[in-house]
Amino acid sequence: MKKHIKRALTGALVLGMAFMTLSCIKADPDRISTELMPMEGNPLVSFRILLNVGSANDPAGKEGLCALTLSMMANGGSKSLTYKEIQKEFYPMATSVGLRTDKEMSVFTGTVHVDNLEKYYAILKDMLLNPGFREEDFKRIKTNYLNFLEKTLVSNMDEQFGKEILNLMMYENHPYGHHEAGTVETLQNLTLEDIQAFYSNHFFQGNITIGIIGGYPSDFPDKVMDDFSTLPEGHTPRLGLPEQRTPRGLEIVIAEKATPATAMSMGFPVSISKADDDYFALWIAVSHFGEHRQHLSLLFQKIREERGQNYGDYAYADHFIQGRRKFPAQNYCRQQQYFSIWIRPLANSNRHFALRQALLELKKLVEEGIPEERFELTRTYLLNYTRLYAQTLSEILGWKMDSRYYGYTDFLAEVQKKLPRITHEDVNRAIRKYLNFDNLYIALITQDAESFKEALVNNTPSPITYANPNMPEEILEEDKIYQVFPLDVKPEKVRIVQATSFFQKKSIPEK
Amino acid sequence: MTRFTPMALSLMLLLCLSPQLLSAQIFPYDAKIEILENGLTVVSIPLDYPHIISHYVIIRSGSRNEIEPGKSGFAHFFEHMMFKGTKEMPREAYDDFLTHLGAGTNGYTTDDYTCYFVVFAGRENLEDVIKTEADRFINLYYDEEMLKTEAPVIEGEYYASVSNPGRRVFETLRDTAFVKHSYKHTTLGYLEDILDMPNQFEYSQLFKKRFYAPDNTVLLIAGDYDHDQMMEYVRKYYSGWEKSNYTLLTPEEPPQTQAKRAHYEWPTKTLPMLAIGFHGPAYSDEKIDKATLDLLAETSFSRSSPLYQKLVIEEQKCLSLNASFADRRDPYLLVFSATLRDEKDLTYVENEIFRELERLKKEPVSEELLADIKSNMKYSFANALGTTDGIAGTLAHFINLTSDPNTVNRLFNLIEKVTPADIQKMCQKYFIKTNSTLVTLSGGKTQ
Repeated sequence: MKKHIKRALTGALVLGMAFMTLSCIKADPDRISTELMPMEGNPLVSFRILLNVGSANDPAGKEGLCALTLSMMANGGSKSLTYKEIQKEFYPMATSVGLRTDKEMSVFTGTVHVDNLEKYYAILKDMLLNPGFREEDFKRIKTNYLNFLEKTLVSNMDEQFGKEILNLMMYENHPYGHHEAGTVETLQNLTLEDIQAFYSNHFFQGNITIGIIGGYPSDFPDKVMDDFSTLPEGHTPRLGLPEQRTPRGLEIVIAEKATPATAMSMGFPVSISKADDDYFALWIAVSHFGEHRQHLSLLFQKIREERGQNYGDYAYADHFIQGRRKFPAQNYCRQQQYFSIWIRPLANSNRHFALRQALLELKKLVEEGIPEERFELTRTYLLNYTRLYAQTLSEILGWKMDSRYYGYTDFLAEVQKKLPRITHEDVNRAIRKYLNFDNLYIALITQDAESFKEALVNNTPSPITYANPNMPEEILEEDKIYQVFPLDVKPEKVRIVQATSFFQKKSIPEK
Repeated sequence: MTRFTPMALSLMLLLCLSPQLLSAQIFPYDAKIEILENGLTVVSIPLDYPHIISHYVIIRSGSRNEIEPGKSGFAHFFEHMMFKGTKEMPREAYDDFLTHLGAGTNGYTTDDYTCYFVVFAGRENLEDVIKTEADRFINLYYDEEMLKTEAPVIEGEYYASVSNPGRRVFETLRDTAFVKHSYKHTTLGYLEDILDMPNQFEYSQLFKKRFYAPDNTVLLIAGDYDHDQMMEYVRKYYSGWEKSNYTLLTPEEPPQTQAKRAHYEWPTKTLPMLAIGFHGPAYSDEKIDKATLDLLAETSFSRSSPLYQKLVIEEQKCLSLNASFADRRDPYLLVFSATLRDEKDLTYVENEIFRELERLKKEPVSEELLADIKSNMKYSFANALGTTDGIAGTLAHFINLTSDPNTVNRLFNLIEKVTPADIQKMCQKYFIKTNSTLVTLSGGKTQ
């Protein structure tokens, strides 16, 4: 029996590979694209219906419109079924339609057992091609977004709040410069007519890539293509984005609220993305400096492991959203990218010290580069770790679609080819070229903001204390350097804003 | 070839799973079980596809084991200490090993167990992984200073989640509902106990001796390897681990005889929340109570249920409405929870939940709805088995409960037998007002 299975497996594998090479059809820019990955006999089928439109396409004064429109499709009824009826249908199949909206792309996702494929797809198709846009769905979904912006994000999610403030700082007066959910003011003014108009203006064939992977029947994609080809031809022109604004010195925003812990996010724009050769060298450097939720991260070692100050400290070479486990999520591709550092909440008494630590380590990285042995270690790590990136059907499909965005057939295969060719010198050259330590946007969420500002401006020494009375001598010696490391903070570059004032309007509030 | 690895995985899975799931065994893999002389249970699921291997060590101790006063949160704290390395391989060398391997690795602690996993590519690395993991479970070494340095990390973790009101509700609910059992506190523990962790070096050694032993552990390995070869490595590296022979006696929770209430006033503006807990049964794949209640939770509180549709979709008084009845080794709580838009509706939502439970005592659920729910459970489970690590991760939970992977098939067979009359009977047995604890949270009045 087992041998039999093995033979069948090999056959199916070869078959799957043959299909894969034929699967990617790049139609003309006004027609639908597809990414098809058949796996005959697989019990599951995953969809990714990708739309080349995101929150950066929100019309001025209507921020949040893209997310609200797409959410009306994913979380509302179709013309033929109410949302309640859709949920009732999906339930026995244990399936759903997911939605993620980013700045320049959005994706509808779903996974279903092949037993239920026909039934699921009939509903999915209707949700996307014949959305109901009902008043009651509109009211419910809009209120959810308003509650998220006004209450949840500023009150209950400081880590995310910090990242969003960084985004507001980095992209002031830029199409990326508002939360995907919009602002309280613009959301309140959006109407069902706006939703209809956004759908009509952007749900063109050329904006859509249909991704399907798994054990679907061979004639299934044709059926899907026929259905989606009823959409109008055309596409939304690729956004012409203004140049990213580099911070001048240390530009700081402190969101003030009553809290025992300080959250920090900081960063600056970078001019490259996964599409560029230099990205691979920069990736090694940043992985060494702050690999997401891994012991490899130097910041993690310095702040958490050696000193026990918080739960983790990381850095990213481009926009990063965590997906399954700790791996990066897909379909968050952007034309413009940024480098960032994320310091998870730590006791307010240590906030000045930790900020100094992060910036001094960044300075050392920029000035000294990375040691040879760390270069070798990080490169080996990335070569192995990226082999785990694409495990679920949806992940395999997502990476395939992102590969196409960045101009590769298979980005993860490219990693295996490119990383071994990167030299230590390439990495240090990339660090010098793309990173810096004295021009950063810094977002802080803390209490007693005025006293923190004063301490920052005056470079007041910020020693820390430990529960362990016998901390290693080398740590204490290093602390003496951290605690007085001068930061060039100009008082006029520090804005203090009440946390509850955020997301009411588009820009960073005055106070 | 690397690029096709995940596809090969999926192909393998498709061949193992019946396409007509509803008539098939829910867990279709051949899990081999061996018990070493020192009591270590080894569960092996070899999968015929290239590269990925999941190595899970399941220590059957969690916050449930924190029965002494002042020791709440210790299982989780100890999980942190498990990453400190050994004399042979200190922390830096251990980190270095995993980094070279490019492994996906971490640990997590729950009420009942603590799990350590290493997910990696390449069967050529299997022996090194088994050797290294066995070394740290047998020979873990840290001194008092290392413990004192690590302890504040827990405090940081506490702060990282302190801005989440849902966590407060959960904490308050457990603390109010339980009197004696260690489920009274959460996995993270009470803040005062967290602050005392730097002083607990001696207790940490006792904790290790009691619970980090082969007779309290299941080793679960799934993926691309040869079973016999793997067992050879396991015997070679894990046989030297000494038994503890310790028996944990968790305090028995007395029956609750009076309805309880508590309120948490959140300092800033936040969405009001409500949770109602009823004492319920422990996990079982033999007695029908728990499986029936799981079905009930789905019948009446899932997204397709009438109450959810009413409160969340139609009246829009709630942003969310959930029922969760977690599987636990000892009797635990059946929890109904809601996040509301407006504080003034807290009483209304509370009454609606109780009214629904009263209705369920009198009216049987429809056969059709029950069939939908059973179908949902099966397909949800099948979806979770989409990767090697999905298989190992899903199974880890069930193995912690019984040490036996076959519990999954027994449980689903039990679920299949549940009737609408059973649900009615269980509602009458467990949803009694005097067995309930209600917690509310609201905030923002002061702003």
